[in-house]
Amino acid sequence: MSDDEFLTVTDVSKWYGDEQVLHDVSFEMDRGDVTVLIGPSGSGKSTMLRCVNRLAEAQEGSIRLDGEEVLSPDLDVDVLRREVGMVFQGFNLFAHLTAVGNVALGPRRVLGLSEAEARERAEEKLERVGLADQFASYPAELSGGQQQRVGIARALAMEPKLMLFDEPTSALDPELIGEVLEVMHGLVDEGMTMLVVTHEMSFARAVADEIVFLDGGHVVERGPPDQLFERPEKERTGRFLERIASHD
Amino acid sequence: MASATRPTTVRERVAESDPSLGRLLLVAAGALFWGWLVVSWLNRWLGGVVVPVGAPLVSPGAVEATVAALPGLAAYAGDARFVVELTPELARGTWLTVVITAVSLVIGFFIAVPLAVARVYGRFSAWLSLMYTELLRGTPLLAQLFVLYYGLNLASYVPGAVSGVFPRDVVWVAILGFTLNGAAYQAEYIRGALESVEEGQITAGRAIGLSKLETIYYVVLPQGLRYAIPSWTNEFVYLIKYSSLAAFITVPELYYRADQVASETFRYTLIFIVTGVTYLALVLTASKLMERVEGAVAIPGLGAEREE
Amino acid sequence: MPPAATTALAAVDSAALATELASAATRLQIGQPEDWEFVLRNTDYLGVGVLLTVGLTVASILLGFVVGFPAGAVEVYGDGLLKRVVSTAGIVLRGTPIVVILIVMYFVVGVPQINLGVVSISSAMTAGILGLGLRSAAYQSQIFRATLASVDDGQMEAGRSIGLSRFEAVRYVVVPQALRRSIPGFQNEFTIVLKDTSIVFAIGLAELLTRGYDLFSEQTTAVLEVILFISAIYFVLTFTTNRALDRLGDYYAIPEGESA
Repeated sequence: MSDDEFLTVTDVSKWYGDEQVLHDVSFEMDRGDVTVLIGPSGSGKSTMLRCVNRLAEAQEGSIRLDGEEVLSPDLDVDVLRREVGMVFQGFNLFAHLTAVGNVALGPRRVLGLSEAEARERAEEKLERVGLADQFASYPAELSGGQQQRVGIARALAMEPKLMLFDEPTSALDPELIGEVLEVMHGLVDEGMTMLVVTHEMSFARAVADEIVFLDGGHVVERGPPDQLFERPEKERTGRFLERIASHD
Repeated sequence: MASATRPTTVRERVAESDPSLGRLLLVAAGALFWGWLVVSWLNRWLGGVVVPVGAPLVSPGAVEATVAALPGLAAYAGDARFVVELTPELARGTWLTVVITAVSLVIGFFIAVPLAVARVYGRFSAWLSLMYTELLRGTPLLAQLFVLYYGLNLASYVPGAVSGVFPRDVVWVAILGFTLNGAAYQAEYIRGALESVEEGQITAGRAIGLSKLETIYYVVLPQGLRYAIPSWTNEFVYLIKYSSLAAFITVPELYYRADQVASETFRYTLIFIVTGVTYLALVLTASKLMERVEGAVAIPGLGAEREE
Repeated sequence: MPPAATTALAAVDSAALATELASAATRLQIGQPEDWEFVLRNTDYLGVGVLLTVGLTVASILLGFVVGFPAGAVEVYGDGLLKRVVSTAGIVLRGTPIVVILIVMYFVVGVPQINLGVVSISSAMTAGILGLGLRSAAYQSQIFRATLASVDDGQMEAGRSIGLSRFEAVRYVVVPQALRRSIPGFQNEFTIVLKDTSIVFAIGLAELLTRGYDLFSEQTTAVLEVILFISAIYFVLTFTTNRALDRLGDYYAIPEGESA
């Protein structure tokens, strides 16, 4: 394994009870890379994502992040999660807090910033995602696209090394998807290392350094977007992408 | 979503088997409890066919001897004897507790349904219904019993037809009090359940030509009453426990009799623990019974799914 | 041990006969002005009863919260022995009549008098607070158990994903939402405890109802007037408490937006 590699996933396997949902999944990412996981529903993409920040527990394999073994039982998961940010399909905004409150909670309670410092950072992140006028709004008062952007700001507020995106636009009405993808494009330009699960193929083609196609918990094919979209090595890959494309 | 199932451990397997063992014990205890009660009651009514009236079903001496022979429990032999001697009085009292609860609950239900319907669908009657339920739910049950017994002295007005059914006519006053109070609470629960029946159901009923009342009776109530079962069970349990207040208007139910014996023998601890256990047994029986009822009348898709 | 409980029932028994005789005459005298005057003359006596009733209610609800909230949290987040113990204690407390609980507290546990220097709390009062408080804790634990469990799993996940520990996530994310959802149940519980304070009659604690009883035993023509007056006071108490808690609920409510 080269030392330049930032995230190395090696032969990760996971079972839910007797059912195996991940079979020896392996891939690598350099710092600043954008890797997109694609595949049919039930293929294990979200599970794989969650294994990286230990929201799901992989029973076998190795995940090395910036030199540390994530799957080690001695690892303090709370410390890990300060370095890895996650954006959820269902947003999961803290319903009882305003936008600022949501973004400031982590810096305040986990990083120990003062009330003022945390608030300042929260406002900065919210401005960055284009929500400068919604500081005092509650999640229920925001549109889906706005809520997801708050979700991104919340994850960014921890200043993570790696950002995980779990189908960030799947729960959004079509006209709201654009504003979220715009923010994600911005992060790519800034050099954030991102692992994204999505069905948005145009996004994947535009920004991914590598696309990983999962089916039934197996890595069917990996490679740069051009390869997968134009000259896929496996027939299954081609068929899947065709089905997806016909929906775009 | 992200929850991983842990591999089956011994602890988990034990936890899984526990319910079936516990359930068996519970059923056995329940059978014993109700067996004792029913035999006791029958014995008294039939004039002492099993044992003399007022005597315990098992010999206190025998129980004392048995417990004394068990390792570690010898010290409790005397207590065991006392409890056995206590059982006839407790059984007597429990009879009235059960009767008062059951009768009040049933009559109260038939008052509560119209009250609830009026509240949800009526206009002027809604206000009357509201006043009734607010008044009865906003004042203590004990005060209501006092009003009936001391204030209005209803015990002396019990009609001749029903007088003599119970050893003391005051039992009817208690039944009246619990019925009126229970009706108010039941009306609230049923009201909530009726309101949770979808609007579309009523529309559909009217659309096929049912009158307002017919729609309520044939469409809304069958669904609403099923939704009401959990909270209705609450009321059932509540009445069992609060029937103890009848003691304060001289009704010789369970609590009254327990207190009588306690004041004569001063063995408060033992007596009230046994009394407490008796009430618990009644409450658990009621809960299990209602669980069965809920299962029996359940319709797929109606009401909360039972999760295991 | 002071047999106050037996006194209550025994008094009821002996008074019953006297009342039955006297009531023959009172049948036609409901609403006599002298009787209302009697009530008005004794409002200060009853007033102390009201204070005691309110004090008992507040103390019991607080005890119920302090014990009940952790109990509810244990039932949601705990496991093993602790959870079984808490669960069983709850079942016992919820399945036993309050009057039995009070008697047990008073006679069996034998709570002592508490001297706080300036004031002393009688043992009947302590028993009352303990009995009502523990019963309330058993019911409040169910309220909090339901509301804690009703907060979406995703909230917890999101909290953990930014590095909050399990405890911190529960404390900063789940609890604030659960507490707000608990307000209706809490309102209900408050009125129940308020009315249940009347049952300390059984251990001779001179709160509102007991004082009423003392009064109308003294002047048996005024029985109905006294009880109606007292009932009215209870009604006003429950009504105002409900409205006050409604206000509280509105104040702390999380704004619901118009967006779908």
